[in-house]
Amino acid sequence: MAAHEKPDLPAHRNLFRMILAPTIWAIHFLLAYCTAAIWCAKDLGDPDTLTLVVTGYTVAAEVAIVFLGLKMWTQWDYLDDYDYVHSESTDEHRREFLGHAGFMLACLSFVAVIFNTMPVWFAGTCL
Amino acid sequence: MRPLVLPAAAILAIALAGCRGPQSALDPAGADASSLASLFWVMLAGAVVLWLLMNGLIFYAWRAKPRPISSKAARILIFGGGVVFPTFVLFFLLAYGLSMMPDQRAPGEGLRVEVTGEQWWFRVAYWPEGASEPIHSANEIVLPVGVRSEITLKADQVIHSFWLPSIAGKTDMFPGRVTRMSLLPTEPGEFRGQCAEFCGESHAWMAFTARTMTPDDFAAWVEAEAAPAAVPETDLQARGLDVFLSEGCGGCHAIRGTPARGRVGPDLTHLASRGNLAAGALKVTVPDLIAWISHPEAIKPGAKMPAFDHLPREDIAAMAAYLESLE
Ligand code: HEC
Ligand SMILES: [Cu+2]
Repeated sequence: MAAHEKPDLPAHRNLFRMILAPTIWAIHFLLAYCTAAIWCAKDLGDPDTLTLVVTGYTVAAEVAIVFLGLKMWTQWDYLDDYDYVHSESTDEHRREFLGHAGFMLACLSFVAVIFNTMPVWFAGTCL
Repeated sequence: MRPLVLPAAAILAIALAGCRGPQSALDPAGADASSLASLFWVMLAGAVVLWLLMNGLIFYAWRAKPRPISSKAARILIFGGGVVFPTFVLFFLLAYGLSMMPDQRAPGEGLRVEVTGEQWWFRVAYWPEGASEPIHSANEIVLPVGVRSEITLKADQVIHSFWLPSIAGKTDMFPGRVTRMSLLPTEPGEFRGQCAEFCGESHAWMAFTARTMTPDDFAAWVEAEAAPAAVPETDLQARGLDVFLSEGCGGCHAIRGTPARGRVGPDLTHLASRGNLAAGALKVTVPDLIAWISHPEAIKPGAKMPAFDHLPREDIAAMAAYLESLE
């Protein structure tokens, strides 16, 4: 391995993966609202098309979140040892803790992205 | 238990009486207010059910000496009741609430009323369909029943909010920005609206009256409102107009049909046909007019109209008599 190349962080040290799903949720929120604001201010066309565009963002975000959630679920590997409490300061407990928290955050983000999209589904108008 | 029934009924009656009246979101006379009122009742019913459920559970756990349940059942209860159930309830409530919004903001079908929030009164300009010039008025909104009218909202110096709860929800008014809403009154009547955003000393004195009428009555009203002011009929009224003009009231107020053209303060052309004086602070009566002209700040702190109590009382009374004749 060359000196400038960073090694992949081992799972028990990688905090970033845990917050990736909520980050997608935040980006989805921004994208949806900015698109709607610009669409309506610049009158870019039919609001129904806007609904389609934002729903497109939602599908992409949800696919990514499901993928991440599954990864976190595997990292937690609950079905392996049914560990629900991760209180020891060992690599395994850290890894499972981060997986557990990341999995739950992914579930939360999944629902949140749907809630983000509901305005265009149920009140899809520029008025 | 018995002695509590009467006082409880009395309190309930008083509380419910507050739901009626010319300024109540729970006594709707407009399409949007009706849907907001049903939203309120649905939410209230749901809240009551949840309240009973939660308190029932607390009561059960605390008083009914329950047997322990299996940890699997407990997990289902906590996950189901704490995560799945609220998520679905929120989903349906949000869907229900959001789906109401497009109707609330539907475009108007003819008449457009431009309302500007001033400190502390409402400047009103009616643009009937096809009009090239507005009809200026103030502190009163007159609308036809059964037609959705477009309301354009502006503000002068500070933020205000336009709120006519019997007809619809509220919308803020911003300096330098135009907001809009639309109103669809369903019943003829007289209502009261109120500035709903703190805007300075006399914010609490910034109200307006609203009248809704059949489209025919409305057409007649528009014609009358567009006409110039009544000509003085008595000597007293004629003297009132003279004083009004010579004291410079016309620098701030317009009375169409006279040389008074000011646009700083409310248009007074048909003052006496409005249901209020000085944005709901007073009524259009001679004593109230005298009180207002003599010392506006005594009635509305900070009012942007100078006091005229240095004038002879007879002059003020003459102006009051004249203004009170401006139907
Ligand atoms: C410097 C401008 C100015 C002058 C001069 C002035 N007014 Fe006013 N007037 C106002 C303003 C501003 C209001 C609204 C005040 C409020 O409601 O807060 C007002 C309100 C009124 C109202 C109530 C209007 C309504 O819609 O209910 C009457 C009546 C009135 N003025 C009469 C007079 C008379 C009579 C004179 C002359 C003796 C006069 N004003 C001079 C600025 C002026
Ligand atoms: Cu105000």
